[in-house]
Amino acid sequence: MTARSDRIAGVAALLIALALAVEARTFTVEFLTDPLGPSALPLFAAALLAGGGLLMALKPEAEPGWPDAAGRARAVVAGLSFLAYAWLLSPLGFVLATALEGAVLARVFGGKILHCVTAGTVISAALYGLFGWALGLPLPVGSLIAGLVS
Amino acid sequence: MDAVGSLLDGFRVALLPLNLGLAFGGVVVGTVVGMLPGIGPINAIAVLIPITFAVRMSPESALILLAGIYYGSQYGNSISTILLNVPGTASSVPTAFDGYAMTRAGRASVALATAAIASFVGGTLSIFGLILLAPLLARWAIRFGPAEYFALMVFAFAALSGLAGKAPRKAAVSTGLGLLLGTVGLDPFSSVARYTFGQIKLLDGMDFVVVTIGLFAVSEVFHMLESASAGPPVTGVGRVMHSVRETVVARWSMIRGSAIGFLIGVLPGAGGTIASFLAYTSEQRLVDRQGRFGKGDIRGVAAPEAANNAAATGAMIPLLTLGIPGSGTTAVLLGALLGLNVKPGPLLMDRNPEVFWGLAASMYIGNLLLLILNLPLVGVFAAILRLPRWSLFPGVAALSFVAVYAVNSSVLDLILMTGFGLLGYAMRKLGIPLAPLILGLVLGPLAETNLRRSLALSGGDWGVLFSSPVAIALWILAAGSAILPAVLGWSGRRVVAGDGEGQGLTS
Repeated sequence: MTARSDRIAGVAALLIALALAVEARTFTVEFLTDPLGPSALPLFAAALLAGGGLLMALKPEAEPGWPDAAGRARAVVAGLSFLAYAWLLSPLGFVLATALEGAVLARVFGGKILHCVTAGTVISAALYGLFGWALGLPLPVGSLIAGLVS
Repeated sequence: MDAVGSLLDGFRVALLPLNLGLAFGGVVVGTVVGMLPGIGPINAIAVLIPITFAVRMSPESALILLAGIYYGSQYGNSISTILLNVPGTASSVPTAFDGYAMTRAGRASVALATAAIASFVGGTLSIFGLILLAPLLARWAIRFGPAEYFALMVFAFAALSGLAGKAPRKAAVSTGLGLLLGTVGLDPFSSVARYTFGQIKLLDGMDFVVVTIGLFAVSEVFHMLESASAGPPVTGVGRVMHSVRETVVARWSMIRGSAIGFLIGVLPGAGGTIASFLAYTSEQRLVDRQGRFGKGDIRGVAAPEAANNAAATGAMIPLLTLGIPGSGTTAVLLGALLGLNVKPGPLLMDRNPEVFWGLAASMYIGNLLLLILNLPLVGVFAAILRLPRWSLFPGVAALSFVAVYAVNSSVLDLILMTGFGLLGYAMRKLGIPLAPLILGLVLGPLAETNLRRSLALSGGDWGVLFSSPVAIALWILAAGSAILPAVLGWSGRRVVAGDGEGQGLTS
């Protein structure tokens, strides 16, 4: 049980390095552009990754303190909300999607319902005001919103 | 070269209303992010880079803003270190020894005044060092060919991996990942697509802003989710202005700390952490005859604070004159400069004098602004530490989304950012340093180009890499900095012991 994390991460690094090294063998050119070619650095970097990963698996350090079940659940909700945000940004538009995401994250960080509504609204309005309105960054309006307005 | 005339021109650039405003904004943002535990300068800089691109800021204005955040954060860092005993980066750990002891003894205002003045002394003295040393280094480096540059970059990698990691094997994993990420996209020599997996968006390469924001800002949000509890309560600040006179006793500590910090800061890889620890321990050996260090000695605050600010300025020298970053934060600054079409190197001072001299002048002004702001207003800044977590971290996350989306309005980038956030979180938990990854991502493509160019010029003869005395000297330095920490295990390991949270690499 002890030191399992380093072993898993080391083996994962080793496998990723091997896969990327195999892929690097396909980087070939018909005519010689330079003596090294395009696969030398990827192969060197993969060797570094594989070597480091192998040593991590062989000489693992003590387990870091991973979060408890509640902490893991919070992280999963937060990670899923990031992906949902990426998915909802185009249809809902920046203002609505950001307000929702801000409220969800405030909840994950232990805010009460009223806190969440405030945090979502203030964050969304402040960021839109600063970046969309004052600095003129092209933030999405949202296809659903645009459809309702027209 | 007429340095005085150039510096006056620099002040003309720095005193333009826009640039003055950006310097002010930069140091205020820097103070706030440096103070808030776990946000740090690297996140703030990474988040603002795409915004400077999107609003088409000129390179000198962008650098004035981003550098303001970098050195301003060192001031802010000392506030949370002294008041809460929470050093945001490893470079502030020595400040906590005496600074927090002073807070517990009810002398927080004296500690804060000392930190502000020492930071000012360190920052200002090291700007003179920058002005004197950078032109010399640039004139020396102007004869560098691709072989010398390649050796120099290997030195930067070796120094950072040798010094910044507890375990060399973990630094190797991080460097390898960074180098591999740097190869994604079209190979500039042969136009072969590498690791794009059929995604057209990846042909231009992995955007380093997406990687950096994911690895640092998003992973910080995951990290903060671990515990549900709030931090320790903030104590009262007291009247900092009235404490200024008490700091006079520490004036020599500030000057010695500045000198140590500047010299260490110039070396790649060493950075603010080693500078502040070295300044603290050498000051302790030199002046602490009654054994008062660690129990609230004012000189124990002054020396490391002067040192880590001086190191931040010193680190700008290799970045600007050689194009070689020595830390995570300066690697991100290099990425920003390259994105703004400014190529740092020995020719920077000739080609973009407004960038170099404008920055030097603006750092002087910025340090002055920080001192003026920090002495009377430190209480206002400290009030931000009372912000509840449910308002702070959702804001950080939303700001990251805006920044990533501003890069090229791509939803794929938001998904990649989440993935890098998880990777960064796992790496931090496992004690794998993040700085080598950023260095590999930014410096890897440059190192590869220089190596392949020198081998193409020599017709494949590897001897070209060792053909000049400068190159040989750099190879010896690289080998030395890779091996030395292993030989002197105590120095490297003890110094970065507080580095486990991955924030230490922002120094």
